[in-house]
Amino acid sequence: MRSGPRVVWAAARLELQLVARDRLFVALTVLAAMSFVAMVSLFGLTGSRAPMALIDRDGGPEAARFIDATNRAHHSFRLLPMDAAEADALLARGRLVGSITIPAGFSERVASGQTVVLDVRLDNVNVDLSNDVQRALPAAIVIFGRESGFPGLRARVEEHDVVSHDTGYIPYLAVSALALDAFVLAAALGALAVAREWEGRTLKLWQVSPAPPFGLLAGKLLASCSVAAGALAAAVLFIGLAFGVWPIAPLALAGALLACVVIFGCVGAWLGTVLRRSAPVVPLTFGLVLPLYLDSGALEPTRFDGDAIWIVAHLTPLYYAVGVLEWAFHGLQVTPEPVLVDMAVLVAFAAAAVLATRNALGRARP
Amino acid sequence: MIASLRAVLAIAALDVAVWLRSRWALAAALLPPLGMAVLVGLLTVAVGQQPVALVVEGHGVLATRLARLYVADRDAYLLSVVDRRTAEDALRDQRVAAVIVIPADFDERARTGDARVVLELNNVDIDVADDLRRATARSVAELDAPQLGLLGELHGPTEGIVLPSPYRVAIAERDLRDANVGFLQYQVVPILIMVVIGVGTLSNAMLASRERERGTARLLLMAPPRRWVLLAGKLLGALLSTGAVLGPLLALGAAAGALRPPPAHWPALLALLAVTSAMASGLGLLIGLASRRPRVVTMLSLNAAIVLFFLGGGFTTVAFMPDWLQTVSLAVPTSYAIEALRQALFYPDLAGFGRDLAAVAAFALVTAGLGTAALGRSLGQT
Repeated sequence: MRSGPRVVWAAARLELQLVARDRLFVALTVLAAMSFVAMVSLFGLTGSRAPMALIDRDGGPEAARFIDATNRAHHSFRLLPMDAAEADALLARGRLVGSITIPAGFSERVASGQTVVLDVRLDNVNVDLSNDVQRALPAAIVIFGRESGFPGLRARVEEHDVVSHDTGYIPYLAVSALALDAFVLAAALGALAVAREWEGRTLKLWQVSPAPPFGLLAGKLLASCSVAAGALAAAVLFIGLAFGVWPIAPLALAGALLACVVIFGCVGAWLGTVLRRSAPVVPLTFGLVLPLYLDSGALEPTRFDGDAIWIVAHLTPLYYAVGVLEWAFHGLQVTPEPVLVDMAVLVAFAAAAVLATRNALGRARP
Repeated sequence: MIASLRAVLAIAALDVAVWLRSRWALAAALLPPLGMAVLVGLLTVAVGQQPVALVVEGHGVLATRLARLYVADRDAYLLSVVDRRTAEDALRDQRVAAVIVIPADFDERARTGDARVVLELNNVDIDVADDLRRATARSVAELDAPQLGLLGELHGPTEGIVLPSPYRVAIAERDLRDANVGFLQYQVVPILIMVVIGVGTLSNAMLASRERERGTARLLLMAPPRRWVLLAGKLLGALLSTGAVLGPLLALGAAAGALRPPPAHWPALLALLAVTSAMASGLGLLIGLASRRPRVVTMLSLNAAIVLFFLGGGFTTVAFMPDWLQTVSLAVPTSYAIEALRQALFYPDLAGFGRDLAAVAAFALVTAGLGTAALGRSLGQT
């Protein structure tokens, strides 16, 4: 074996042994990244179906049909039948988004063509939820009126979807969270690999070693990136088993995640070079990744958020990574750029990250 | 007694000084909530309105009226009125999430009750798609039943004006509060809680771990004060360390108008934050004593903070979670703290606040008690 690859291999083996000694830290990093995916999914669980008290004082057939229409109003409500006193108490405690009261005589009056007023109480504490309710109730009434075949309705909405299937919010969020996982895992392990040299005062040995520093760094990053890639594979498995979301383009998925691991591993190494200590690295990466994650199209295509946010998003590799990942899992195009362009930019980011890390380490003094 | 009190204060002051000098630990505790603040700022842009292109091909009275209804609904859409081709290009380039077309034959077909509005929807994720489905349905409904529009919901039947509707159902909306709380202001709660949890757990974990790592715990044992004085000083130091960071942030939030509880709620709010800080401090002590290595301590604190934050309802509302998660969150102290914080900040009364405060206090007693006991044992073993 030539000396270059031998140095890389030896440094990688040493780093793997050090990582094995630090397995509690590694396990906790993986746990943090995985639990973040699970917890972000909670946001998806509550993004729709707001709990709404239903006080049915009628109990007739028209009321039953109206309740059915409300249940089908675009994943808007989780109707909870209860009496008025219970609804008032829960509303006062912020446990409900509101209450709908169907008055006595509703069925009779609707059947005879009269207009019946529903009393709706709304806890308008959160403008986002209030808006959803204010739009969803008319949508429910439209479904009710249309299906009842009432005369006098002149217009309806004819929907043509761009994508042949709706993608649930949790599957969408869980996949984009993989990019965030890659950031946290690879950056933390990359930073640990480099910062340990300062903490252990072994960096000065690099200066006197006959081996080229870049070879040593490459070996350390090879090891930490391999561990991060293994942890990401576990995260993919977790998403598949927990949410039933499996990739339809596994090769693209593997390519995107590998590029992410290299990029973020190098970012971590750079952070380790700058900070020279490992303890603050993971909280720092979490702090950095939260806004970057959202600006990467994690919740919806970034393009929908306007020109400014979309332009800024191009500066982070997470934007391209989410683009490739959503395509690899769901066949969705969430960036205006083709997926191949996203992939190419990721590779370019990875190459630039390697060079930047090499330069940063070259300038560092023990 | 006075000497003991002086010793307690001296130990606490030393811990606060050490904590405030730990630049990186401070950064580690504050960066996640700062990141969350930026994220919330971005979310404010992302939630609510969606970019939509409106194509009006019909020129009849009804088509024009419907177009006006769409344009007027500024809460739902970021609307641009364009021609068909521009709209299709915008949909393809993702500059808009949907195209709404009012066809040329709209008025003609409306006479036979069969007019249609075409919604070309980029249903890339169900959250965006459902928002637009609801909004479009409301706009079309308004054409035949103006009372189904927002103004109708708020000021029609509520004020005794009931017009006949072909849908035969109208809404009288009664809001619980005078004004909606803005999304940004609503999200102050998770940021505040993140600061309390992050600083509370990390500061004390780092301080406890540091004593063991550097062997300075031995010096404490040899000092003249008695064991209870040392423990009380450490606990007070833990609380003050959190307060030293939280206090300025609260003042800043109040001055900037982001933190505006009803004036009578301030004492309750401060009591709640103090008790939550005590709970987080106790937890931090336990974490700090679990390991001597700073990076492991940091990671343990971060994991604890993630679970406490998310399962406590920091990013959402516990009551809106599935039943099994609501059951799990009963064992999460921050679920009570967050609920009480929302009650104190956004609601006119303090209904249920006492129960939540008592629950957080009970958790604080447990964690601070266990933490102090573990610290005492650790000092004994040093």
